[in-house]
Amino acid sequence: MPAHPISLGPMHFAKKGDALAYLKQLLYKYDLGDRLSDKDAEVLMAALNRHPDAKVKIGPGVADFSVRTADFGSRCFWVNRTDGTTEKFSLNACVWH
Amino acid sequence: MNLALLQEWLLTDGVADDLNELVRRTVADEIDNLVPDEEPRPQLDWPRLLLAGSTLARSQTRTYQEAALRIATGALTLGASREVKDAGAILCEKLANARAVTLADDRGYLESNLHGRLGVAMRLEAERRKIDQSVLVRSSGDWLPVNDFQLRFWSSAGDHGWLSASAPTASGKTFLVLQWLVEQMRSGAAKVALYLAPTRALVSEIEEQLQMLLGDSKIGVSSLPLRDRYDASLQGSVQQILVFTQERLHLLANAVGDAFQIDLLVVDEAHKIGDHQRGVVLQDAIERVERANPTMNVVFISPATQNPEELLADAPPGVGTTSVDSDSPTVLQNLIVAEQVPGKPKLWRLTARARSGDLQVGVLQLASKASTLRKRLALIAAAAGERGGTLVYANGAAEAEEVAELISQIIPERGLDDELTELADLARKGVHRNFRLAPLVEKGVAFHYGNMPSLIRLEIERLFKGGKIRFLVCTSTLIEGVNLACRTIVLRGPRKGKGRPMEAHDFWNLAGRAGRWGNEFQGNIICIDPGDQNAWPTGVPERARYPIRRESDAVLDRGEGLSDYLNRRNTVPLSELAREADEFEQVGAFLLTTYLRLGSITRANFAKRHDASALEKIDVSLSELAGNIEISAELAGRHPGVSAVGMQGLLNAFRAYENDPANLLPAEVESFDSYDRFVTIMRRINEYLYPAFEPDSAVKLHALIVVQWLQGMSLARMIQKTIDYQKELGREIKLPALIRNTMDLVEQTARFKAPKYLSAYMDILNLHLREIGREDLIDDGLDIGTQLEFGISSRTLLSLMELGLSRMSAVVLYEKIARDDLDKPACIQWIEERSEELEALEIPAIIAREVREKVRIQKGVSFQ
Repeated sequence: MPAHPISLGPMHFAKKGDALAYLKQLLYKYDLGDRLSDKDAEVLMAALNRHPDAKVKIGPGVADFSVRTADFGSRCFWVNRTDGTTEKFSLNACVWH
Repeated sequence: MNLALLQEWLLTDGVADDLNELVRRTVADEIDNLVPDEEPRPQLDWPRLLLAGSTLARSQTRTYQEAALRIATGALTLGASREVKDAGAILCEKLANARAVTLADDRGYLESNLHGRLGVAMRLEAERRKIDQSVLVRSSGDWLPVNDFQLRFWSSAGDHGWLSASAPTASGKTFLVLQWLVEQMRSGAAKVALYLAPTRALVSEIEEQLQMLLGDSKIGVSSLPLRDRYDASLQGSVQQILVFTQERLHLLANAVGDAFQIDLLVVDEAHKIGDHQRGVVLQDAIERVERANPTMNVVFISPATQNPEELLADAPPGVGTTSVDSDSPTVLQNLIVAEQVPGKPKLWRLTARARSGDLQVGVLQLASKASTLRKRLALIAAAAGERGGTLVYANGAAEAEEVAELISQIIPERGLDDELTELADLARKGVHRNFRLAPLVEKGVAFHYGNMPSLIRLEIERLFKGGKIRFLVCTSTLIEGVNLACRTIVLRGPRKGKGRPMEAHDFWNLAGRAGRWGNEFQGNIICIDPGDQNAWPTGVPERARYPIRRESDAVLDRGEGLSDYLNRRNTVPLSELAREADEFEQVGAFLLTTYLRLGSITRANFAKRHDASALEKIDVSLSELAGNIEISAELAGRHPGVSAVGMQGLLNAFRAYENDPANLLPAEVESFDSYDRFVTIMRRINEYLYPAFEPDSAVKLHALIVVQWLQGMSLARMIQKTIDYQKELGREIKLPALIRNTMDLVEQTARFKAPKYLSAYMDILNLHLREIGREDLIDDGLDIGTQLEFGISSRTLLSLMELGLSRMSAVVLYEKIARDDLDKPACIQWIEERSEELEALEIPAIIAREVREKVRIQKGVSFQ
């Protein structure tokens, strides 16, 4: 299967696997409870926009992103919305969609 | 024959047989459910005994005084004629035991107008004794009857800068010291007084007693380390008595800084300066206050100690010191052992341990066979102490609950009582609807341990003192300093903490609670299976007194271990130093801070007690560590028990942190990030400061508890949430253990470890933020240590606790208050507007009572 290049904001990747690896590295660059820097948030926003449920996940708007625990102790990106609600989202869904 | 020889002869020969018979009878009189004695008892020769008693009363030796008190008590309670009872009362007065005479009067043992029946000479003598045995409370003009110990304390305390008072439990120490403290405040001798007590339980108890003593006076009492209140008392005319644990003192001193003014310091349970890990924090607290206030008055109080003067060794030069020591009994304490009659599991032989040897008291009839050790404890306590005032010592909270449950099944039923019903209601609403305490207290039985919410514990203690709770099963919290006396205490193989057999002085500190001076004539200590090696590895302990030894001195004298630890502290990861860290980290931190402040520990106050060459060797290790430390002595001194090595490690980690420094701060507790942020912070603390939240798998639980606590969640909700979580995971729920574990986590994690280490974390972080020019991230509000100590994050909740409410009451009330920004007057107004409707708001009766009482006191203080 040919490789599909993918762009996430300012970042360009030769194939989706590289993009996912980059995002996962980003996820572990932070500690639990951290909020993302503006630069990293730009990449992640681009990723979230690719999510199949992007509209629902984004809701009224994105304030910022956090790294927090999710079910079974796993680590996840969460979108913090402008209305004070929050929701986690899957990187796989953002990339492979 | 001189007096001493005569006294010795009286005991060993003169009245020995009569005294033994008297011991048998007075002890048997105290025990319920004894099998009736078939044989007639020999007659007592009262005139002879009373004459001997009055001779023995002239001695200061404990054994002689005990014998005299035994004769006096026997005459009062067993004497057949008015003359014998009168003579018993006079003998009590000679022993400076006015409370026993008052008690005899109240119980109807004495006919009225005792002194009117005396001849002129004796009446004059009685009057003189009365004056000699009283002290004048100048501020009120009242004469306070006192015993010999109390008299010596009262007359010495004003004249010496530092005083150390030691006397057995039930000598009226706390009562008198509080009276004296209030007198000092009322006379204007002190503006700000500080009362240090080792546990939060004792802090609440002392705070309440002081409030009762002070009534509606202008003098404030506070157990909250809040700067505003302290500043107000310094600037205005309001006097303050601060009642703190050593940790709370450090919180306030950190907020106030070097100019921390205290005029009078009282250190209760001062022998705890020798406790593992917290002893050095107490020593640090005393030294910190003393450095800021070298001329203040200091009073140390300790139970029966061998060397109370040791506490005075570090008094500043030129300050007068004295120690007041007593070993005199105020009530009779009967040491009784219980052994099963061979082949009769329902019959137990009771033997009193007297000076002259073992004396058979009788045979106790149990309600049922004691087939397990816990049943044995429960059945013997239920039988021997049926009339109430019975304390049972259990090894641990779980055992306390089980023994209480067993006792409740055996004792005779009594009708419902309003106050007991209210306590049961509080236990159900404040903890859990199935909390075991609730059905037990309805039957007049309770258990009691350290991690229980203070409001419930204090109410249990109050109802036990009042006689409504007849049996109280307790744990080692009682040795840690709760002033709770009983009539009878029942023990089998007491341990302190986890499995360590109790040492003689701890045993006697506990056993000494038997006998409520002024409420009972005697106290009984019943030890089960005295010959069992597992229960009593060294036998039932002989009476012993505490040796006072500072934790720091003990560790310093342990030799090489400390130097080795300090040498490795900077290079070996903390996780590999676990065992040594437990032994040396606290004192090591104290020494390092001392070194940073003075440049050498040989200049410290404690240096005079140690070998100079040993200190120099430790100095070398400390100098090595200090070479890598930029943390100032002032900053290190703010966090006793936290090593400057760890603080430096944390600072280095902050400096190496590459992401946004805002991520290093705890998040607002209401925010989504809060829990995860605490997980990360606790891991950083484990790695750099001290492995306080180990193992790593437990960090999440610790973080969750801290967040819930800071959110102002009630204990009941925290317990319910844990139950829901366990259910979600499909785990089996063991409710009693779950409730105990949650209480334990709140006390040990949220209120002890978290404030200690998070305060240090925040201080180092603020230092780093200033270094990198990010002062904008520094929050000047209430520090995290105080927030955690009290479990508050909103202004309203803080204001409610400022009223003096327990956290339990404050949280229940806060659930009914819409606004989160109310100050103290606004909270008072909110309560007053609804004062009559509190119960209608489904607030438990005990909480409603506390709320009304505290508001009444606050108004008294504010408006006078």
